[in-house]
Amino acid sequence: MTNDEPSRRSGNGFAGVVPVLISGAIFVFFLTLVPQISAGDVLRWSYDWVPSLGIKLSFLVDGLSLTFSLLISGIGTLVLLYSNTYLAGHVQYARFALFLTSFMLAMLGLVLADNLIGLFVFWELTTITSYLLIGFGHETTKGRRSALQALFVTGAGALALLAGLILLGISAGTFEISEILAKGDEIRAHEMYLPILILLLAGAFTKSAQFPFHFWLPNAMAAPTPVSAFLHSATMVKAGVYLLARMHPAFSGTDVWLWTLTIFGAVTAVFASFLALRQTDLKQALAYTTLMALGTLTLFLGQTSSYAITAFVTFLIVHSLYKAALFLVVGCIDHATGTREAEILGGLGRVMPVTAIAAAIAALSMAGFPPFLGFIGKELKYAGALAVASEPVFVAGAVLLANALMLAVAGVVAFRPFWRKTDSELPRTPREAPWQMLAGPVLLAAAGAIFGINPDLLQVPLVNPTVATFLGDPTDAKELKLWAGVNLPLFLSIATFVLGLLIYVIHRPLRNLLIRADNAAPNFDRGWDAFLSGLKAFAWWQTKYLQSGVLRQYIFITFATVLVGLGGTMLVRGIGNVLPDLTGIALRNWAVVALITVGTLIAATTRSRIAAVAALGVVGIGVALIFIIFSAPDVAITQLLVETLIVVLVAVAMLRLPFLDAQGESDHRPWDAVLAIGVGGVVTLTLLAVLATPLDLRLTEYFEVTSWPEAFGRNIVNVILVDFRALDTFGEIAVVVIASLSAYALLRTTAKEKSE
Amino acid sequence: MIQADLSIVLPEVILAVFAMAALMGAVYTGKDKTAPIVLWATSVVFVLLAAWIGLTGEGINTAFGGAFIDDAFSRFAKVTILLSAAAILILSQDFMTRHDLFRFEYPILVALAVVGMMMMVSAGDLMALYMGLELQSLSLYVVASLRRDSVRSTEAGLKYFVLGALSSGMLLYGASLVYGYAGTTLFSGIVTTATEGDVSLGLLFGLVFVIAGLAFKVSAAPFHMWTPDVYEGSPTPITAFFATAPKVAAMALFARVAHDAFGGAVSDWSQIVAFLSVASMFLGAVAAIGQRDIKRLMAYSSIAHMGFALMGLAAGTAEGVQAMLIYMAIYVVMNIGTFAFILSMERDGEPVTDIDSLQNYSKYQPGRALAMLVLMFSLAGIPPLVGFFGKFYVLKAAVDANMVWLAVAGVIASVIGAFYYLRIIYFMYFGEDRDALDSSMPLAGWAMLMGSATVMVVGVINLFGIEGLALVAAGALVN
Repeated sequence: MTNDEPSRRSGNGFAGVVPVLISGAIFVFFLTLVPQISAGDVLRWSYDWVPSLGIKLSFLVDGLSLTFSLLISGIGTLVLLYSNTYLAGHVQYARFALFLTSFMLAMLGLVLADNLIGLFVFWELTTITSYLLIGFGHETTKGRRSALQALFVTGAGALALLAGLILLGISAGTFEISEILAKGDEIRAHEMYLPILILLLAGAFTKSAQFPFHFWLPNAMAAPTPVSAFLHSATMVKAGVYLLARMHPAFSGTDVWLWTLTIFGAVTAVFASFLALRQTDLKQALAYTTLMALGTLTLFLGQTSSYAITAFVTFLIVHSLYKAALFLVVGCIDHATGTREAEILGGLGRVMPVTAIAAAIAALSMAGFPPFLGFIGKELKYAGALAVASEPVFVAGAVLLANALMLAVAGVVAFRPFWRKTDSELPRTPREAPWQMLAGPVLLAAAGAIFGINPDLLQVPLVNPTVATFLGDPTDAKELKLWAGVNLPLFLSIATFVLGLLIYVIHRPLRNLLIRADNAAPNFDRGWDAFLSGLKAFAWWQTKYLQSGVLRQYIFITFATVLVGLGGTMLVRGIGNVLPDLTGIALRNWAVVALITVGTLIAATTRSRIAAVAALGVVGIGVALIFIIFSAPDVAITQLLVETLIVVLVAVAMLRLPFLDAQGESDHRPWDAVLAIGVGGVVTLTLLAVLATPLDLRLTEYFEVTSWPEAFGRNIVNVILVDFRALDTFGEIAVVVIASLSAYALLRTTAKEKSE
Repeated sequence: MIQADLSIVLPEVILAVFAMAALMGAVYTGKDKTAPIVLWATSVVFVLLAAWIGLTGEGINTAFGGAFIDDAFSRFAKVTILLSAAAILILSQDFMTRHDLFRFEYPILVALAVVGMMMMVSAGDLMALYMGLELQSLSLYVVASLRRDSVRSTEAGLKYFVLGALSSGMLLYGASLVYGYAGTTLFSGIVTTATEGDVSLGLLFGLVFVIAGLAFKVSAAPFHMWTPDVYEGSPTPITAFFATAPKVAAMALFARVAHDAFGGAVSDWSQIVAFLSVASMFLGAVAAIGQRDIKRLMAYSSIAHMGFALMGLAAGTAEGVQAMLIYMAIYVVMNIGTFAFILSMERDGEPVTDIDSLQNYSKYQPGRALAMLVLMFSLAGIPPLVGFFGKFYVLKAAVDANMVWLAVAGVIASVIGAFYYLRIIYFMYFGEDRDALDSSMPLAGWAMLMGSATVMVVGVINLFGIEGLALVAAGALVN
């Protein structure tokens, strides 16, 4: 972990401070908007970008986007402050701060955009900046591979999303999100609803790492810890969830929406919680719990009940607070001890008391203990799960299991490293982190506690207006309270504590079991590798067989394409069965056909160049004979002259070439013959089919009528050559003369060279 | 009458006369010593002609009984062709001089090729089409083998010639079928026949052969085989030229034939073009993954990009043609910048084209590496860079024309394609330490690289208004 190597310098000067100030200012700016938004206002700002395509650069501030903006800018500020110390003295810190700030701005643009294309542009910007951030530790192969993997999975999803957004924009007749949301009924009834939904979900699920696209997120933990805290807990991975939330009013309420989100969400949540317990690296464990949270959020977005929506909003905030805090705590541990291995760490509570307390508070919130916000979130989750329209028992069961596992993981991550007794050697002697690094975890953990004790601080300013963006009415939001009376959610909470503590106690044997199960299960990460090598194998195959560099082969492929194209068209159109009428063909015609055939066969089979050229000449003479038979002697004469000229010229040229190699030529001839027969056959059929359709006779008629009165000639061909198209004929003669002149010049030069 | 005709083709006449005069002048004076003067003069003529055509052209004028059409569409294509050819000429001077390749024939051949291209995009008749096409192709065959003493360069020229002749043969065969069944070689006449009731079988097969011939020229799969070999074998400035102006000309000619001559049979050709498009996009995207040579990689990249441009054409609408034109204009700008960079890739004065040699390039030349990052992202179509808008326009055209499957295929291909562009970036930024490449870069190259990268970024504001121009151009073709 070279990039996590601590330095004892305190900061990075200018490059360290400015980003913190910028993001802090942004956070304060959004805070000032809170009163307005909680009063029910919606702010819009718009600028025409590409008007002809309906693309505007427009922004929308409502409850949902404000909540996200506050989380992004607030956590962003703390993370930037933290990184300034965490990566103090790093040679490329300025670059890092630039990437991170750009990412934050892109993320803000994403959640504030009110135009589908604008949203997509910011979406891709987050993809690119996150690629750069994950690959920041590019000295390691793992870092590079992870960065690329994250980029491809989310990039592929993003392009599906683009297709979905374009379809949506066209179907709805507008690219403005606020206008689309007002047309919910129309969109749900639209024939393109399903394709659009599938494409949008593909984008959202890849970005938010839902099963089966989850594999990139744990790998992305190769990023420096502050990046993970920011991107992979609070912001980027929530972009997919944000998209689903944003589109909720327009898309939710159908069976497809309900079941897809419920099933994918639930599977991701449970699956990820088990895998979280399997990890021994603290950061990896946190990565999987993030997956679990994303699954849960998706699950609730499938619903439309006010309980589920309130649960979604609350859990969104809760999760961002405690998860960012815990990531930063893990960063502190790593920074102080040089390791993140759960099996080595222990007894840090005494040396790092502040970190330990922040960790404990955040973990209690994560585990859902009262009086922290996590408890309220969990209660609401149960209430929401019980109110689901699909399968309350299934959903509540999934949530219960995930929560219990979460509690166990919270213990492993935030309790054991501090309070466990151990005598393992640590790579470094630990000491308490500096204040810049503590500010983040402490403030975030404290926020979880304060909001838990006094939920009203959160309810009116943020939760109600956010719920209103889904359901239209802020009063639909359920009340956030610590004590909701003795009810089913409370019993489920108690069950969670019991089950969770039980799992925590047996987590080590359970982990070994899980490791074995996981190794046996199909591995998506390996699937990714297989996919990449498959692509490479195809590229290799292409180069070897299609792009071999052998000209003969290129020509072969070209003719084969013609064969397949024409033959295929004929088969499809059913015009291949035009049999010619062979009766009544005069003997001399057969003789000419025989002559041409023999000439062709000799040309194709002989190994002597001269013989081949002569045979081709025979073919040409045969063609001339055909012209004579159909009484066009002048054309026949032209053909004969040209043919003679060609034979002479080719013969002269070929005499100068080396002899044909009798060996290595033999292997491909049979194939060439097959292709030649195929192409010849198809072209013959084409001609027969073409001849079966009536020729456009306007030209013939025109010349028949006008050749005598206008040109005083009765032979139409002659008249065309010397009269109607006299200039063309003149041009042709000129070309032939120039060609022979240059040929003469060339031959003369070579002759001279030879004699010298 | 003839005077009116000549005044319409005046730009082409001037350029042709200039080329011949320059040839004579150079032969009878200093031969290769005059090469720099000829090159600069040619570039200046290109730019002046572009300005003239772009600023003064108006309306639809036809000359020689409809065989030559001067309309907004041809003007858009001509300005793009002239400016990109001028840029490539200026770029190549330094490279040609240093590698002892600077023959005075080079700019003259390019000028002749450009005359051919201008004829192609203005063709209103099968014969005018063929004449323009052959004038262009013959000049290109020669420049491909400009490095006469190199086996690879001559091999490239020969391959290009044989396959090009084959494609010309197909095109002629198709043209003769079309002539036989339409009774005229004029596009305006063919389109009347094609719209009158059913398209006859003869006309249809003629169309298929013509399209096969044109597909060669735009290097669409499966007629693309010449591209990687020729790109790799030719001297790099020539490759840069191949990747820009001729592609625009061939694409515009394709659109011209498809809409002007076969506008009544859109349903008959749109499926064929869609097939070419999908095949090119996928082949270009996947095959490039295995390439280690940046010139070959750019060859596959151009195949894939032609696939995208063809997607706009396959839509068969004015919107599609507009998208295609925008795409081509953007493509040309990106390629000029990229090739400006490739031209500067040298080690100890010798050109290198191995992608591996770019390892950790950002450390030595952060500015140029950043410009390449922008260009590669733009080529890959990653928003918000201008390259994304090109893709967006064609995708939207395809979706609007009810070819959603085509758009989806395009999206998938572009994801795969992104892989190799990013690999270059990846080497540049995350590579291992290697011997640095030479740091010298001529001013012209540097300016084009930076300019092109800047355009990719700044252009997102309004694409420099190219959108409206392309709309007018497309409107002139499809109505």
